[in-house]
Amino acid sequence: MTKTHCPYCSLQCGMTLAPLSPSRRTGNQVEVQAWPEFPVNEGALCRKGWTATGLRGSRERLTTPLVRDRATGELRSAGWDEALDLVAGRLAALRAERGPDSVAVFGGGGLTNEKAYQLGKLARVALGTSQIDYNGRWCMSSAASAGNQAFGIDRGLPFPLADVEQTDVLVLVGSNLAETMPPAARHLDRLRERGGHVVVIDPRLTSTGERADTFLQPVPGTDLALALGLLHLLVAMGAVDEEYVGARTTGFDDVRRSVAAWWPERVERVTGVPVTDLHATARLLAGADKVMVLTARGAEQHSQGTDTVLAWINVALALGMPGKAFSGYGCLTGQGNGQGGREHGQKADQLPGYRMIDDPAAREHVARVWGVAPETLPGKGRSAYELLESLGVEDGPRALLVFGSNIVVSAPNATHVTDRLESLDLLVVADMVMSETAAMADVVLPVTQWAEETGTMTNLEGRVILRERAVAPPEGVRSDLEVMAGLASRLGSPVPFSTEPEEIFAELGRASAGGKADYAGIDYDRIRREHGVFWPCPTPEHAGTPRMFGDTFATPDGRARCLPVEHRGAAEVPCDDYPVHLTTGRVLAQYQSGAQTRRIKELPDEGAFVELHPMLADRVGAHDGDLVVVTTRRGELKAPARVVTTIRPDTVFVPFHWVGANRLTNDALDPSSRMPEFKVCAAAVRT
Amino acid sequence: MSAPQRIVVVGNGMAATRLVEELVARGAGGATKSLHVLGDESHAPYNRILLSALLEGTHRRDALTLRSPEWYAEHGVDLRLGARVLGVDRTHRDVMIVDGTVLPYDRLVLATGSIPSLPPIRGLVRLDGRLHERVHAFRSLDDCTRLMDAVQHSRRAVIVGGGLLGLQVARALSVRGLETEIVEGGEHLLRSQVGNPAGQVLARGLRRLGTTVYTGARAVRLTDNEDGSVGLRLDNGFTLDTDLVVLTAGGRPSTALARGAGLEVNRGIVVDDHLASVTDPDIHAIGDCAEHGGRTTGFVPPAWEQATLLARRLLGEDVSYQGSRSVARLRATGLDVAVLGDPERAAREGGEVVEVTNPVVGSHRKLVVRDGIIVAATLVGDLSRIGLITQYYDRGIRLSGTEPGALLMGDRQAPPTRLPEDAEICACAGVSAGRIRACASLEEVRETTRATTGCGGCASAVRQLLDTRPALSGTS
Repeated sequence: MTKTHCPYCSLQCGMTLAPLSPSRRTGNQVEVQAWPEFPVNEGALCRKGWTATGLRGSRERLTTPLVRDRATGELRSAGWDEALDLVAGRLAALRAERGPDSVAVFGGGGLTNEKAYQLGKLARVALGTSQIDYNGRWCMSSAASAGNQAFGIDRGLPFPLADVEQTDVLVLVGSNLAETMPPAARHLDRLRERGGHVVVIDPRLTSTGERADTFLQPVPGTDLALALGLLHLLVAMGAVDEEYVGARTTGFDDVRRSVAAWWPERVERVTGVPVTDLHATARLLAGADKVMVLTARGAEQHSQGTDTVLAWINVALALGMPGKAFSGYGCLTGQGNGQGGREHGQKADQLPGYRMIDDPAAREHVARVWGVAPETLPGKGRSAYELLESLGVEDGPRALLVFGSNIVVSAPNATHVTDRLESLDLLVVADMVMSETAAMADVVLPVTQWAEETGTMTNLEGRVILRERAVAPPEGVRSDLEVMAGLASRLGSPVPFSTEPEEIFAELGRASAGGKADYAGIDYDRIRREHGVFWPCPTPEHAGTPRMFGDTFATPDGRARCLPVEHRGAAEVPCDDYPVHLTTGRVLAQYQSGAQTRRIKELPDEGAFVELHPMLADRVGAHDGDLVVVTTRRGELKAPARVVTTIRPDTVFVPFHWVGANRLTNDALDPSSRMPEFKVCAAAVRT
Repeated sequence: MSAPQRIVVVGNGMAATRLVEELVARGAGGATKSLHVLGDESHAPYNRILLSALLEGTHRRDALTLRSPEWYAEHGVDLRLGARVLGVDRTHRDVMIVDGTVLPYDRLVLATGSIPSLPPIRGLVRLDGRLHERVHAFRSLDDCTRLMDAVQHSRRAVIVGGGLLGLQVARALSVRGLETEIVEGGEHLLRSQVGNPAGQVLARGLRRLGTTVYTGARAVRLTDNEDGSVGLRLDNGFTLDTDLVVLTAGGRPSTALARGAGLEVNRGIVVDDHLASVTDPDIHAIGDCAEHGGRTTGFVPPAWEQATLLARRLLGEDVSYQGSRSVARLRATGLDVAVLGDPERAAREGGEVVEVTNPVVGSHRKLVVRDGIIVAATLVGDLSRIGLITQYYDRGIRLSGTEPGALLMGDRQAPPTRLPEDAEICACAGVSAGRIRACASLEEVRETTRATTGCGGCASAVRQLLDTRPALSGTS
């Protein structure tokens, strides 16, 4: 019996892995059972969690390194030494010929903290490259950027998730948590049983929206204008907590002026949300003692995602909520380790502990922990999409190492990104299955998966939890940590790379000490004893920090920043040739690019579909189940129509777990977070 | 960027403020030598269209301020309040302000807005040229403040003019507890925006809300009563005794400066696609005072579009103005009206009209469609689809033949049906209706299927299925 956590989303539900009785043993040696004592999910799981062992022992697991044969162009089996020697040799040659930045590294928000940390160190110390970023840039980077600007720190939720039950009005902006993290939806039901009120804002009426008391259905890409309009009304009705904004924030007067131009009728025209709904929602917010605003990808994955989050933070600040019990603003992180993955050095501009790579003190501190000279650390590199766009071009990287990401499916404007990957001299992918990206690689390295390895994750609450090894990996696979250590030594790293997670976690703790995301007081035993520890936790005696901002914000003067923002609108709006909005999202039974979940036979894999309203279906002559073609300026997708009344008639929806959706999406980037505009672009539909 | 200019903006309303914001946002500080804004009101710029909301009490005064004087100073803009411009000298390229200052310009922008029209009512204006003390205009913040003071000791009000502003003011005063009457000279309310059926629906709606409406009646004379109130005599012989008269009978573009400078003026200051006067390319006009393509507008969105475009032009971009789409929305509690474009004119010009009128519930909705595109619309009383219709209108989306009708009819509700056995009830655990029907109790459902144990969203559906399952043999 091993207490561990689900391999998928940021909720990181606790679960027990138990050996199967010998009579039932076929492929899987373990089965999932409830772990009722773990507080985040109290034993509840969704079907992804219950079936998580399905990938173990799957015939599709990779168990030997593969190297592309130059003569045939096919992948062939190779030994580990051969594969690693080959990779290290070619990387070293490239570096000698074109400099260290000719090698790039791409990580993932599903990697454990230990791996994320080690990957950053591998790039900066063993490869000496500045070119490292990760797919978390496409996840919650807009919320991170906004949180840093407004609060001086970015922790997805500054309070435990269960606090949701104790608020009065919960506003979910662009979140479908009932499908993306189903056990979290129980909190909504309990909140409503208590008499609380749930507001859901989404262009689609999802199963989360069905739980709402107030449902607002804005035009995709206009959540920012909606926030400005609500704040306008709060100011107009005198609902601003003047004492709070006076004592705990700066800049509110500029914000107050900036929303004077967002009267309800204007907001209605921009967002499509009727004036009466705006008034009713503003009254609801104004009359509540405790308000909690949570954003997710729907609000954040936009070219104005950071500003959208800032606008919603302004609403929360105007009402005096952040720092107050059972109130405030939070971001519902997406990937399993979306939070931890962004704290320990996978980001192009950051070092462990959320330190900025261009801060001399930060460089000094981390270099000392790593045992290298600060001046040897490279500077800031390119952000995820910019990194991929630069592959193979003049002055761009010629080699890419990929850990924990299926870029071909998950990057925006995917056809273009695939072209860039093809132009590389060397693509190395570490994965457990032959993902769409691994299939393009020159070298594929088979690695262990969840349940076969130990490591920590930081869930959406900032709670550091421990996934424990429950079973032995199949013969022939190695952990990502072993791969990194093998490469580091072959590349002549000046310092050794450990392969022991607990040892690496201790080093991570030292590297993060004194930083914003301070893990120095956390160790594995403590996590086991306390069901996770909330960062910052600077010393073993420190209790950890479940709730933040009670007395002060993490800014130099301790006050939150109210920053005026303007609505610029989506980079692409409908026109004659592309007359509808396209938005993308998730379905319950799949996770991310589906590399894992599509290979689990208990999970339905129905493929991509195109959700559209009967009026639009009628316009294009499509019936439910007909194949329809969605085109954008970047690509085309053919999939069956799902005709539903729950979506805006001017919008179509495509889930992004399958190849295709992201051939359509727009690569316009947020100027601050560098987040691509996954959630809206202009499209055409035909039969 | 070819703009080393000295720009003088006459006016400090919505259009002027947006122009300055756009210039500042686009870095005008570096590109222009200087930027001067001359406003004749003494207030920092405010959101004029919210004055009726201020009157009604839904908005507080401080929610109207658009920019503080400090903001102008911080961005190097010379803002002068209470600075009425007396004249423009095109030969010397300068303007003279009321205090005698002469300010030279390279480019002059007239954003002088509009002024309320005074209806021909005898007794309205006193011998000294001022309005009768019981009579109020409603254009500026000062007008609004004065009216709000008067409301304190008034019981009754008559609104002269049944247009958008008139209805807003009438509702505002009514919400404030005044007995309110509207006098409209035309045959129906909102006559410049909507047709007779919509006007009738509106009038009924207003009467239901307690406001008396006189249409086809002109006020002709104002007389003082002995008790201090006034009598407003109509051309149909009625006299309405009241404490307050508010004039909302429209406005006209404020063009006196332009005329004085010899610029071509029709109804408004005539401008070309560069928003420059057809007489003098160095003088621009935007907002209510400008006339482009034979039209003047009284709305903010077109004024803002013009302001943005002009800012880009002043900073050297080659862009031109193609006109705007307008959406007029009534801002008043209990009255729901939206007018997109000019529905009466669009219908006259051959647009196809799809309309639904339901006087019983007080709704009238009309779409004017040309080649599948909504070119104008009237929505009264039922704005449930406004958020979609305005999107289609603004973006010029081509609809199918059945869509305009579907837009007005709303979604049909499907009758409830018995769920098929394979319908998925619990998405978290992937459990069908059939498997739940096969269970005897909620406990059994939980134990054998795990339904209800994930997100919990299916709990009520599961309970219903258990209740409706046929009785098991052996149980009562």
